[in-house]
Amino acid sequence: MKPTRLSMVLLLWAARLGAQGVVIAPHAVFIDARTRSGAVLLYNPNPDPAEVAISFFFGYPATDSAGRIVVRTVEHPDSTSPSAASWIQAFPRRLTVPPLERQTIRLLASPPPGLADGEYWARLVISAKGGQLPVTGVADTAKVKVGLTLEVRTIIGVFYRKGAVRTGVTLSGLRTAVVGDSLAVWARLTQQGNAAYIGSAHAALLDSTGKTLAELKAPIGVYDAMEPRWALPIGALAPGRYRLRLDLSTGRDDLAPELVLPSPPVRDSVEVRVP
Amino acid sequence: MSRPGLAGLLLLGLLVPRAGLSQGVGGSVAIDANVIGQALTVTTLSNLNFGSVPKGVATTVQPTAAGAGAWQIQGSKNADVSVTFVLPALLTNIQALPGSTMPVSFGATSARWNRATNNVAAATVFNPSVGTTGKLGPPANPFLYIWIGGTVTPAAAAKPGIYTGTIIVTIAYL
Repeated sequence: MKPTRLSMVLLLWAARLGAQGVVIAPHAVFIDARTRSGAVLLYNPNPDPAEVAISFFFGYPATDSAGRIVVRTVEHPDSTSPSAASWIQAFPRRLTVPPLERQTIRLLASPPPGLADGEYWARLVISAKGGQLPVTGVADTAKVKVGLTLEVRTIIGVFYRKGAVRTGVTLSGLRTAVVGDSLAVWARLTQQGNAAYIGSAHAALLDSTGKTLAELKAPIGVYDAMEPRWALPIGALAPGRYRLRLDLSTGRDDLAPELVLPSPPVRDSVEVRVP
Repeated sequence: MSRPGLAGLLLLGLLVPRAGLSQGVGGSVAIDANVIGQALTVTTLSNLNFGSVPKGVATTVQPTAAGAGAWQIQGSKNADVSVTFVLPALLTNIQALPGSTMPVSFGATSARWNRATNNVAAATVFNPSVGTTGKLGPPANPFLYIWIGGTVTPAAAAKPGIYTGTIIVTIAYL
């Protein structure tokens, strides 16, 4: 194709560039050892086809030194790691989702024989890019034009459960600090049992009468030991003594109740002094 | 209604059984039932576009500029997501002979993220080479927005044409 014609094509494509993206559901896949299969649905709401590639790796949410939750990737998990990344396959692994259509990705688990009871994890990577090209402007081949295409990789959790699975969490080291107009909260959370602790954290700042002055609710997944940091917006707090209460429970309104492993609630509290 | 919101409705509509239409074998219906749940959508709102740039002069697009790349993430309220990038160092002229390239760089303030609302002015700055962890908005606005800019440095003798590359953003649901 001649450069001028190519530029015209780019111009036409770019002119109708709208939002590009693929809807992925669900955002976590739970596979039972009795069926060994799962599914992820992709829906393309856009006028252009979306090219999608599927892959797996082993990793899980953890915290960095600042308490931020990040995905810890384990490139070479050893035999004791609860990794399912090497024995779960996706069908198909590459596909094109036509405009306004849906496609189902089937997940099939082929665990090694003698696998112990418990929960095994993998992260599913869904790479999607639209058919758009990025550059706008008039078709003038004497100019230098620059544009970058944006490709999206979405990572969701895959959980394979075999036999008796149980979970729990311990909470320790709860502490706070006033940072600007927020109350920073840290705690050490350690997963118990043979499955990840999937639940919610609820932090509440109470005054001496027990009245809630500020609160924060956030989903949490504890796969090992972690020390997350939360920030409660508290504004200008009068000097005095308060109490920070942190509750962990397995209630999650974004997951079906039958998928969430129950565990008794865990609570701790600490005094907060504002000078 | 926002485009992702409409997409969610369409998705639900596709999954609702309709009277008089075959639902296929029982197995496929069961699988469809399993995948109904909270959806996660990462939408590219705009690509990073420098437009026409002068030869021999570095050109920067700030993340607050109209040419910045932008994404919208929609998912579970208040959920944490990890945001990381794979960034190119060179762009390729897709109209010239092979080997015609242009450096591109990203600084410590080249990216921003904002919870709930599409407001880059109020967004938090971060280094795209390092990545960040963001939080989706509350129930009324379970969104997270990301913007990215960058700097290109065309040589004085840069060949004319269209230079392009790919930025890969990885969104991990935590």
